[in-house]
Amino acid sequence: MKTLTFSLLLLAPVALRAADAAETAHAGLAPDQLQFFEKNIRPVLVQSCYKCHSSESAKVKGGLTLDTKQATLLGGESGHPGVTPGNIAKSSVYEAMTWKNEDMQMPPKQKLPDDVLANFKKWIEMGAPDPREGKVVNASGGKRVIDMEAGRKHWAFQKPVKHQAPAVKTPDWAKTEIDRFVLAGIEANGLHPMRDADRPTLIRRIAFDLTGLPPTPDEVKAFVADQSPEAVKRVIDMYLDSARYGERWARHWLDVARYAESSGKEVNILYPHAWRYRDYVIESFKKDKPYDQFLKEQIAGDLLKFDSKRDQANKIVATGFLAIGSKGHNNRDRRQFSMDVVDEQIDAVSQSMLGLTLACARCHDHKFDPVTQRDYYALAGIFLSSETLFGTYEQLQNNNTAGLIELDRTAGQIAALAKISKAEVAELNGDYEKAKTAAAEAQREIFAMRQQDRAKAGAANFLRVRGARDRAEEVKADVDLFYEDGTPRTLAMGVLERATPVNTPILIRGDIKQPGDVVPRGLVEVLCAKGEPLHISPESGSGRLDLACWIASKDNPLTARVMANRVWLKLMGGGIVPTPDNFGAMGQKPSHPELLDYLAVTFMENGWSVKKLIREIMLSRAYQMGSHYDAANYAVDPENKWHWRMNQRRLEAEAIRDAMLAMGGTLNLYPVDGSPVARAGEGRQGLIAVFRGELTGKPSTYRSIYLPIIRDQIPEMLSVFDYPDASLVNGDRDTTNVPSQSLYLMNNPQSQRAADAFAARISKHPGNSAERLSYAYELAFGREPTNLEKAAIGNFWMRFPQMVAKSSGGGKDAREQAEFAALSAFCQSLIASAEFRYLN
Amino acid sequence: MNTTPFSRREFLKTGSNGFGYLAFAALAQQQALRADAQAATGPLAAKAPHFAARAKHVIFLCMQGAPSHVDTFDYKPKLMADSGKAAPSAAGRYGTAKLMASPWKFKRQGKSGLYISELFPNLGKHADELCILNSMSTDLPAHPQAFSQLHTGTTQFVRPSLGSWALYGLGTLNENLPGFITVNPPGNATRTYGSAFLPAIYQGTKIGGNGFPGGGAFARRFGGGVEQATVANIKNDRYTTQEQRAQLDLVQALNKSRMQQDGGVSPEVEGVIEAYELAFRMQAEVPKVMDLSKETAATKALYGIDVQETDAFGRQCLMARKFVEAGVRFIEITNGNWDQHFNLKAALERNTGAIDTPIAGLLTDLRQRGLLKDTLVVWGGEFGRTPHSQGDDGRDHNNKGFSMWMAGGGVKGGMNYGMTDDYGYEAVQNKMHIHDWHATVLALLGLDHERLTFRYAGRDFRLTDVYGNVAKEIMA
Repeated sequence: MKTLTFSLLLLAPVALRAADAAETAHAGLAPDQLQFFEKNIRPVLVQSCYKCHSSESAKVKGGLTLDTKQATLLGGESGHPGVTPGNIAKSSVYEAMTWKNEDMQMPPKQKLPDDVLANFKKWIEMGAPDPREGKVVNASGGKRVIDMEAGRKHWAFQKPVKHQAPAVKTPDWAKTEIDRFVLAGIEANGLHPMRDADRPTLIRRIAFDLTGLPPTPDEVKAFVADQSPEAVKRVIDMYLDSARYGERWARHWLDVARYAESSGKEVNILYPHAWRYRDYVIESFKKDKPYDQFLKEQIAGDLLKFDSKRDQANKIVATGFLAIGSKGHNNRDRRQFSMDVVDEQIDAVSQSMLGLTLACARCHDHKFDPVTQRDYYALAGIFLSSETLFGTYEQLQNNNTAGLIELDRTAGQIAALAKISKAEVAELNGDYEKAKTAAAEAQREIFAMRQQDRAKAGAANFLRVRGARDRAEEVKADVDLFYEDGTPRTLAMGVLERATPVNTPILIRGDIKQPGDVVPRGLVEVLCAKGEPLHISPESGSGRLDLACWIASKDNPLTARVMANRVWLKLMGGGIVPTPDNFGAMGQKPSHPELLDYLAVTFMENGWSVKKLIREIMLSRAYQMGSHYDAANYAVDPENKWHWRMNQRRLEAEAIRDAMLAMGGTLNLYPVDGSPVARAGEGRQGLIAVFRGELTGKPSTYRSIYLPIIRDQIPEMLSVFDYPDASLVNGDRDTTNVPSQSLYLMNNPQSQRAADAFAARISKHPGNSAERLSYAYELAFGREPTNLEKAAIGNFWMRFPQMVAKSSGGGKDAREQAEFAALSAFCQSLIASAEFRYLN
Repeated sequence: MNTTPFSRREFLKTGSNGFGYLAFAALAQQQALRADAQAATGPLAAKAPHFAARAKHVIFLCMQGAPSHVDTFDYKPKLMADSGKAAPSAAGRYGTAKLMASPWKFKRQGKSGLYISELFPNLGKHADELCILNSMSTDLPAHPQAFSQLHTGTTQFVRPSLGSWALYGLGTLNENLPGFITVNPPGNATRTYGSAFLPAIYQGTKIGGNGFPGGGAFARRFGGGVEQATVANIKNDRYTTQEQRAQLDLVQALNKSRMQQDGGVSPEVEGVIEAYELAFRMQAEVPKVMDLSKETAATKALYGIDVQETDAFGRQCLMARKFVEAGVRFIEITNGNWDQHFNLKAALERNTGAIDTPIAGLLTDLRQRGLLKDTLVVWGGEFGRTPHSQGDDGRDHNNKGFSMWMAGGGVKGGMNYGMTDDYGYEAVQNKMHIHDWHATVLALLGLDHERLTFRYAGRDFRLTDVYGNVAKEIMA
């Protein structure tokens, strides 16, 4: 790949000529070649081409400049080289001069004389000797020529180095290295750190951060009582070891992995096997799989070594990452569809793992980052050389289907479906045969129709055949779910190698009808050191494994930083880089660059252990600070950029819902087998179920991570509390504070049911009223009510039961009912209050 | 029923489950701790503008995806003449692209003779009410950034949106409804109705939108979705209003207690408190306003309701009128999928077909009800599209020149403001950057964009940052 340098300065004409002359003297070309150029080539260029194709042109056309050697070789926006020394066929400037291509005839008004053309041919064949070594000038309106050397200077493209923690004025405050970096920022900005959080607040914070659930009253008591200096560490480790940890942190990654169980876009076809990837992510976090390994598996798990069939199956499931993206299945142009799939893959991989928006270079060089269209198509070749297996079957709106990967029967994978009997298998097969026959019959009848009748029937005929075939396909999809003995087959979405890897041409402006140069499969130039090999060797197959290893490498300047920032963001309530999915020029700069480097390097040194990274951050005093308000600090830094306090954080939708269920003790902590989407099936029935809200509207008591995630049909509870767009990489959820949330908590039957369960639990708690009140508070907030709160509750109790009893008539039952209603309303108030959904 | 079946004392004494024991203590200081239901109405109370307002309400018809200006409101005879020729060198960055004439004809419309594409046969009849802004520009040709800038002025940071600023500046005329309502916002665009550092009460309330019951792309696809697009959970099936108020008083007292424990200042908790008060009041008001069933058949027909192509947007436009009537300050309706890189002919026609009748109906209805003079209707997207083709049947992004329009609310009708070059690449005359557009919208509302500030992080922030010129020429 060419490396280009350019100057942004528009050289003044005089300076340019002077430079030309100087270079001529130092060009080191053979005198006869030089003479040939000066006599036969330069005058023609100046006279016939420069008007539109030089850095002095008022408007450069086609992005092509011919007044420097480099630019002449490079060519214009067509993507074809202008001149390839010694190769007439690859010299688009020459081709244009010959007027052979109707669309590209230069100069446009008058073809150059034959003897001039002959000279150009001769010049190119002799190696296009050219003394004009001046730098490529990026003329206004011309092609944006990317200077890779300059591009490499971007902060995020430098390898992170472990910095010495800075000197601080009050070193005693710092508990860990992290604290010194944070404190330096606090001190430098004239701020002071807040006091430490109290124990109940701290354990609530740690529990939610690690498990997505509130601490139990016993856990709180034990922690408050534990005077050992190891207390915090112990409680962190306890939650890190909990199975709930995997579910909590997997959810963060699923946001980044744009996980969902349907295609989204126009048709929203279900992906009944997507949940395997979800479970893989949960398991990976639970086991603290090294992050580099985790990334490698998601890009190229099918190509990695494995030590058992189970291990192999898990690694294949990991590649589901590449297959679960949103897709426009109704696209009639299959080539366009596959380029769109590849684009989505490049977008997801680059944003989630590298914090780069490489997909922006699909139609043109990246407008802001030093990424060329060649880089994009080099990556595209890698993905095109792999087969993306996303399943689905053919139907009216689905013109693009693919297979699935069948996992080995003995690989110990769970199934979403129960085993069916042999008789049921036979029935399914029978249904399929019948449906096929019906489809064939319909087809035959239509063929047998007289011409005029067929014309009259028109679209109705088409729909009839199509409908019959769809029904057959739908039954076939069900047949395919089982072995002949009725055992469900274990199928997965994912990616496999194609037999023959391919390179793809650059598509000019992203248009599949306008292929340019074919680009060898390769990596992103700006992230490779100068001179490092970029291309995938022919022995490497698609190159996916190379790509995986290159991303999951200590030498990649972005990978560890991006993840360290993601973890910091989740724990601290704001990223060191506030744009976690964009570390490029359009992203924001880090507030604490040296801290970010420190975290990234330590992360790698600790074997890419996410748990260790989390533990290190949590053990810092910065993490353990209170979230108290301070007027002086607030006036200077209201956004808390410098971490003078812990951010008050709104819990994510999942954590709020899980905590609501946990209050009543009704949260089901067993993982779901598969997903309701898997049981709905792929067919029309599945879609109808979605449309009716049967999948997403049903109350469920499983942890939120197991709820069905259908694009554009996100369960209401999650959607109200800012679930992100499931089609996009999202490392930082928005938090809104709007009346629709208040309405949900006050009026939605699910909120009311949660409150009832909570009330039932309180009413059964042994002890007197005061003890029950304490218990309710311990469950909900991990603390005792204050006197002010007790007064407010008393006030409520004075009015509310009476009102309810009044409206529901007399009798002992009514009184008891009113009392329970009041208790439920009280419990709902705790759930609805700000403290329930904000972490201090 | 006048007799109370149980005395208060009975509840206090006999209750086995409840917290009657606390109520005894509370008797003494009964009133002291009742959450002040009125407090939250403060920040939304109507405020006087900086100078005489020309408009009191805004309806922003937001076309997400960037509609092609050269096919709709920017008539370019030279583009027609030179169709098929190489794109001019001004567009050198576009390489070998070819100019593409609009596949649709433009006609002079109304007394003013504005050129409007045949894609808008009904809206065209309102030409004399339209002030077409032909010289729009924005910083970047990338959707997320430009969509953000269209709403917040910045491509990059989280800042308050135009609707939030308007609400902050003017308050609302009906405190029982959100002052800023956004219908069907894209799922990933929270920041386009967010209040950022402004108090949370100025945030837009969304109705419908991705993933919302009764809204979103899915419902739109299957039709009839918008019919149900309502504010979810607006009704409490359990408690009377009085009972709910008592419950809410408890919630608010707990919230206030929390805030005190946090040091007395927490924008988040304050936001929760205000959201509850508004939600409580909305329960009474929203169902009335959103009930379209009492509208006459003639009104529904005017908006294209019950006609398949126009039903969804028609309902939203009618709802917008009802919100204006009810006193909502700023209403935004998003209509998506204007990103025609390919399939321009079919897709653009489908898009305009869905909105032409409803918008024309909205203008007619507002006028006949005497609301148009107080309501600024604005139409446009985040940028425009290239005069040259992308593929055979598409256009690429163009941020340097595009069109929007305004109507009602004190703008001059029947005029074009500004223009692009011969082909429609770049604004060349009376350029109106998004900052200028923001300044102008605020000015029409009686707000001086340089004085509408909010102190944050030691600095006064404005919607227009350090930019913005008001286009006085368009004011009636």
